Amino acid sequence: MRKDDVSLDNCLKCSDCNTACPVVTAHPAYPGPKRLGPELERMRREGIECDTEWVEYCLGCHRCDLACPNEVNVSELIARAKSTHQKTPIRKMRDWWFARPGLLGKLLTVAPGIGNFALGLKPVRLLMSAFMKITPERKFPAYSDAALKAPAVVTAQKGERVVFFPGCFIKYNQPELGCHVLQLLQLNGFKPEVANSGCCGVPSLANGDPAEARRRAEENVNSMIGAVDAGARIVTACSSCGHMIKTGFANMLEGDAGLAAKANRIAANTYDLAELLVAQQDEGKFNTQFAVASGNRKLAYHAPCHQKSQGIGRPWYNLLQQIPGVEIEDLNAGCCGMSGTYGFKEEKYPVSMEVGSELFAGIRASAPQAVVTECATCQMQIEHGTGIKAVHPVEILLDAYKAKARV
Amino acid sequence: MRKVRSNHFDLIVAGAGIAGITSAAAAAGRGLRVALVSTGPGSFVLGAGCVEVQNMDRGTPSLEEAMGFFRNLTELAGCGFRGGLDETRHIPTILGSFQTVSLAPFYMWNGDPEAAAQVAVVGIKGLSSFDCNFVAERLVYHAGKLGRGSTYVAREIELSTEEGTVAGTLQFGNRFDRDPKFRKELRDALKPIAAKASLIILPGILGLKSGQEEIEGLEKELGCLLCELPTLPPSIPGMRLFNRLEARLRRAGVEFFTGFPIQKLEVEKTHCTGILLDTPARPLRLSSETLILATGPFSGKLLGTPSFGVNSDLRPVDSAGALIADNMYAAGAILRGNSARGGNAMAILTGYAVGMLAAGAGVQYAQG
Repeated sequence: MRKDDVSLDNCLKCSDCNTACPVVTAHPAYPGPKRLGPELERMRREGIECDTEWVEYCLGCHRCDLACPNEVNVSELIARAKSTHQKTPIRKMRDWWFARPGLLGKLLTVAPGIGNFALGLKPVRLLMSAFMKITPERKFPAYSDAALKAPAVVTAQKGERVVFFPGCFIKYNQPELGCHVLQLLQLNGFKPEVANSGCCGVPSLANGDPAEARRRAEENVNSMIGAVDAGARIVTACSSCGHMIKTGFANMLEGDAGLAAKANRIAANTYDLAELLVAQQDEGKFNTQFAVASGNRKLAYHAPCHQKSQGIGRPWYNLLQQIPGVEIEDLNAGCCGMSGTYGFKEEKYPVSMEVGSELFAGIRASAPQAVVTECATCQMQIEHGTGIKAVHPVEILLDAYKAKARV
Repeated sequence: MRKVRSNHFDLIVAGAGIAGITSAAAAAGRGLRVALVSTGPGSFVLGAGCVEVQNMDRGTPSLEEAMGFFRNLTELAGCGFRGGLDETRHIPTILGSFQTVSLAPFYMWNGDPEAAAQVAVVGIKGLSSFDCNFVAERLVYHAGKLGRGSTYVAREIELSTEEGTVAGTLQFGNRFDRDPKFRKELRDALKPIAAKASLIILPGILGLKSGQEEIEGLEKELGCLLCELPTLPPSIPGMRLFNRLEARLRRAGVEFFTGFPIQKLEVEKTHCTGILLDTPARPLRLSSETLILATGPFSGKLLGTPSFGVNSDLRPVDSAGALIADNMYAAGAILRGNSARGGNAMAILTGYAVGMLAAGAGVQYAQG
């Protein structure tokens, strides 16, 4: 019997998952994870027609999985229902593109100036709203063709080899952040290189396209297995990419025992950047050569859902707390509601904002100089919802090293 | 700069029920760095947190201290418990009977028939899990048996529901938290009933994140006491209590690891060196000086022995009476002979005792 079959029968209908679901909380019409997951799954397996548009409204945040006291993989059951769900033609076309951020990134970075200009024009956004059901309320992130490479090594670098998996957002929108990740790794004694990788596949799964997610998983596994088998660790700085490599690749590839075994080896050697730095710290190797802070920085930390789902604690929060002059509050105010491409979809935009409202209120009450969160789309949502700057924690840590790093 | 070894703690508490939370709070209050690991919010989703001490040995040395600590903890969390060891109140249930309790959360404490003469039992149209006619009828009967002169009348109010949904406590609870218009709607619906009653008994819908401020505020506006009863899962009052306690513990510096079961306790030569959590890709290892198991009644397999007991210090021992680990304690429903009734009192007592023991404080748990 497959593990998930057992898992389905583990559901005791205690409704913990429903109380944890951000969509249920913000939008009472949503039937909730208990209904869309284990309850309807029983019918789906009997071949009873029970397709519902609501499966599209699952954020994929995995909070239901974490709330379940009985280890039911609630969100996976919903994700599977998503893949067989019949969409309207416009949404189908739109979601086909949203499932392929790597392809979008390649196209838009050919001439980023033109692309960014066009995407920023109000008429273009209104056309996208009319013909692709993409909300005109949001701006697309700017694309950049800057190269992603480590800065020249300051000192003779001997350290442990690590392979940085950048993911689409860093690759096509924030290559500068990627360079900072590499610099941070160098400053902590690692010898980083950049993986020759594509999209991790989270957007494909989120948009109900597991076939595309499987192709991405296979491509990524084949591109990274060599390094892992040679003893290198994989490092991620995007929580969704990290979540996918750790939990999704082997799952997607389970039909091929050889590939699944490789995926498991990669997963076992994949670390979130902060997780890696905490491990360094526990071994007494974390670089704490902080410059004297030029002024106090009041920050607020938002933990992305895909960070929580990795089960690594709050590594960034704990690391940043150690920087002199930094005052940081953990907002712990739930999901931001963006969920990658979800917040861009016209029909889901209001739900996305309703979900985020608790976080927005928490941020306003905290009144920080900046919000810190490691997920790029959480950053977009926070800035959109509050007007307060949101940055990746790498920037804060690197700033703290700066004066020392230069000498 | 404070040097933090992030995955090493003074104390790891396993389990986020009343016992786990009480022990984590007691230890954190004594300055320990505490990790709380759990899968789900204990039994809060089922209940409301009433405490019965009737069946307990009142001579247990730290009983009074433990209850005082718990009352203070809930007060700080904004969801205070009322009552004490020497108090007895009869709190109604949704089956229309009374349960005898010594302590109860503020949102239930007023439910005793002595507290009010004119009681309205308020149901909500379409909400199947709370039948006000049934509850009122049974309460009349049981109040008579208790010799109380209070009267119970059933009243039904109608609340708007989101389009395409039926009335449900989770929907109402979430809207109470987030939507001022819903709070006004509820207040307006209750006002005429409150005018003719000194107490309103209603199903648990007054928010999952709310606390004394919001609910006692509503009481003031209505000029009438409220008693909120938990219905079928999810218990809205129970989840509220959990959310408030969790927030309090976070403020006290407790680190939460939620959603991943313990895969293994690492015990070497009767000393527990750490635990492995069943996290994605590879287990997360946490280590600590001391470990408290508050993992509920079904945790035998964690200890690798189907039968175990505890010594007078609440340390687990095997069937031969030998310590399983010299730095491990057990609290709450994991302990033998802990019947379902009075479970919360035992959870508070043992949770407090082991939290203090882990912090090196001289708490006497057993007599003699």
